[in-house]
Amino acid sequence: MSLPKRIIKETERLMADPVPGISAVPHEDNLRYFDVTIEGPSQSPYEKGIFQLELFLPDDYPMTPPKIRFLTKIYHPNIDRLGRICLDVLKSNWSPALQIRTILLSIQALLGAPNPDDPLANDVAQDWKKDEKGAIETARQWTQQYAK
Amino acid sequence: MNLLQRTACSFADSGEQLDPPIAPSVLMVDDAPAVDPPEKGPLGAHRDARELVRLVQCPCCSKPFTSPVTLPCGHSVCRDCLPSPQPRPNISYPNTPDRQLAIACPTPTCAAEHPTGECNIDVTLAKLMELIKAEVAKHNTAVGDNPVLLEEFLNYSSGPVGEKERGNRTAHQRRLHGGRLVSTFVMADMGELHHTSDVVYHPMGEDSEDLDSAVLERLQDVAHRELDCLVCYNMMLDPTTTACGHTFCRRCLTRVMDHSNICPCCRRDLHIPASLQDQPSNERLVKLLNRLCPDLVASRAAALSLEEQPAVDELDVPLFVCTLSLPSMPTFLHIFEPRYRLMMRRCLEGNKQFGMIMYNRSGALQGDLGASSFVEYGTLLEIVNYELLRDGRSFVETRGVSRFKILAHGMLDGYDVGRVERVEDLSLAQEERLEAEERLAAEATAQETRRINPDAQLSAELQVNMLSTQDLLVRTVSFIERMRAHSAPWLSARILHVYGGPPNDPALFPYWFASVLPIAEEEKYLLLKTNRVRERLKMVNNWISRIEGQRWTSGSSCSIL
Repeated sequence: MSLPKRIIKETERLMADPVPGISAVPHEDNLRYFDVTIEGPSQSPYEKGIFQLELFLPDDYPMTPPKIRFLTKIYHPNIDRLGRICLDVLKSNWSPALQIRTILLSIQALLGAPNPDDPLANDVAQDWKKDEKGAIETARQWTQQYAK
Repeated sequence: MNLLQRTACSFADSGEQLDPPIAPSVLMVDDAPAVDPPEKGPLGAHRDARELVRLVQCPCCSKPFTSPVTLPCGHSVCRDCLPSPQPRPNISYPNTPDRQLAIACPTPTCAAEHPTGECNIDVTLAKLMELIKAEVAKHNTAVGDNPVLLEEFLNYSSGPVGEKERGNRTAHQRRLHGGRLVSTFVMADMGELHHTSDVVYHPMGEDSEDLDSAVLERLQDVAHRELDCLVCYNMMLDPTTTACGHTFCRRCLTRVMDHSNICPCCRRDLHIPASLQDQPSNERLVKLLNRLCPDLVASRAAALSLEEQPAVDELDVPLFVCTLSLPSMPTFLHIFEPRYRLMMRRCLEGNKQFGMIMYNRSGALQGDLGASSFVEYGTLLEIVNYELLRDGRSFVETRGVSRFKILAHGMLDGYDVGRVERVEDLSLAQEERLEAEERLAAEATAQETRRINPDAQLSAELQVNMLSTQDLLVRTVSFIERMRAHSAPWLSARILHVYGGPPNDPALFPYWFASVLPIAEEEKYLLLKTNRVRERLKMVNNWISRIEGQRWTSGSSCSIL
């Protein structure tokens, strides 16, 4: 089955005009599967970390959102230990007018603004609410340890 | 052209005396009616400069659009040309503030009133106009010279509107710069070129043909870039604009509505039926595309049909993985999943057929398909009745056409597609020969068994094999009659109304029987795999024997029959 024009164009644009701090490279044997890296935003506990993610465009993309997962271990209330991400635009608030670029930017923004009130990793969210300073410190340590 | 009106020229801007005026119809190569030009064919920058400018002129103020609004009727006007909203009496549903007021449609061909909530800036057209104006301004200052004398020829359509307009308008004449295309645009921008008027050009300097072409090329480039659909990233095909002012390919918008009823751009609710059948296309954008880049429109349409309908020996049969359907029998479906909504739409546009296959619940290997999530034999269904609900779900009534075996399969936009091979019954001659052989062999075995032990019980299989195909049918029919006499619930009038009475054709009878009999679908599925009528009747007899066996052993506790 040939690749839809939209995916080809998105890939071309990502290559020609990459987002600072974000890269997404498709696999040669499966152009719907991307290796993604996101740099942790500055002034966040994830600063200087480089996080690996995988991104897959399902068959009915862009009608359904891309499937994205963190491969790098990360301490974040909205990302669980399997790397799954709790982000509205990846689920119910997806719109076909969004694209890989905007979604990756949203994820980067999520790193800068953790939301423990809408948790996916309950234990992390609880720590975050009980002792925000400590949680941030843990996040920083994890970043240094894993996100290299 | 025959209604062309010529009023006195005003020579306000030019001291020169002109030759006796020539009717524009003589000058114009393309003798197109002014108001509604034919949609086909690209426009030449020099030859059709007037036509090109008309594409972006507001039908109300005749100036190039400023903040255009595309109305629910598909026509566009400047926002400032909208009449002031009036309260709508006697309307209480839907009771939202943006529907309490309405404007009377200012376009001549539409007499409807449009609620203010549906009169929003057409984002695409507005952006395009900004870019066109910027482009024209750039050329206007850069080129400077290249004077042209433009003479307006009033050209009213008949009817009350034309009559009224004629009264207070006079034709203009202008000496402008920048070649034909730019100067015509500027004249319209000055408000001195009525959108129905024609223009006669009197060249005053060197010929501007090359210049016009260059301008048009730039404009085409701008239009091409701006008229990409935000869903498919292709040039818009049949652009359709939402009430919130966002434009998508009609097909893309329909697909979006399979998934949700909010606008992909602004997330406002789309209060339109999911089929979009009454939603007009954006008339102005359609015209712009068709007349600015007809080649691209044609190639886009061709590419799309190629994308959606793969070549003959490719994966050309959509596969619905859901339930067991049987040939000549009805299957009723409630379509709600987005991917199947899309599939049904494409089916209805095509040959109205799709394959129905069952999930492979047992996980058994499926022949050449190996470990597959669905079974390898299915039934080709034809849509006989399609009822689309307002929210995009649908009820579909289908009838089994033929059986097939899947040879290869893949995915298309989220649903399965396959290449299939039709499964036919053996010829009657083969069927007869096999019946004779089987019965002879069974008779021989039976005689042999009785010879050894006269009291021996013949195996059930042997007993069945000895029966003629006709006897097999008679047995099943008499079973049906017995069951009917017992008022079996699966033979109620309601069910028979849907599936009809038992067919007389022994080839079809098992399908009918399986459709009404409440047994596991995996059992019924075996009917699809065989290509012999006798085999199918034997299976049916087998079920009957088991059911009757059950009844004898379990007495009255058998609840399904």
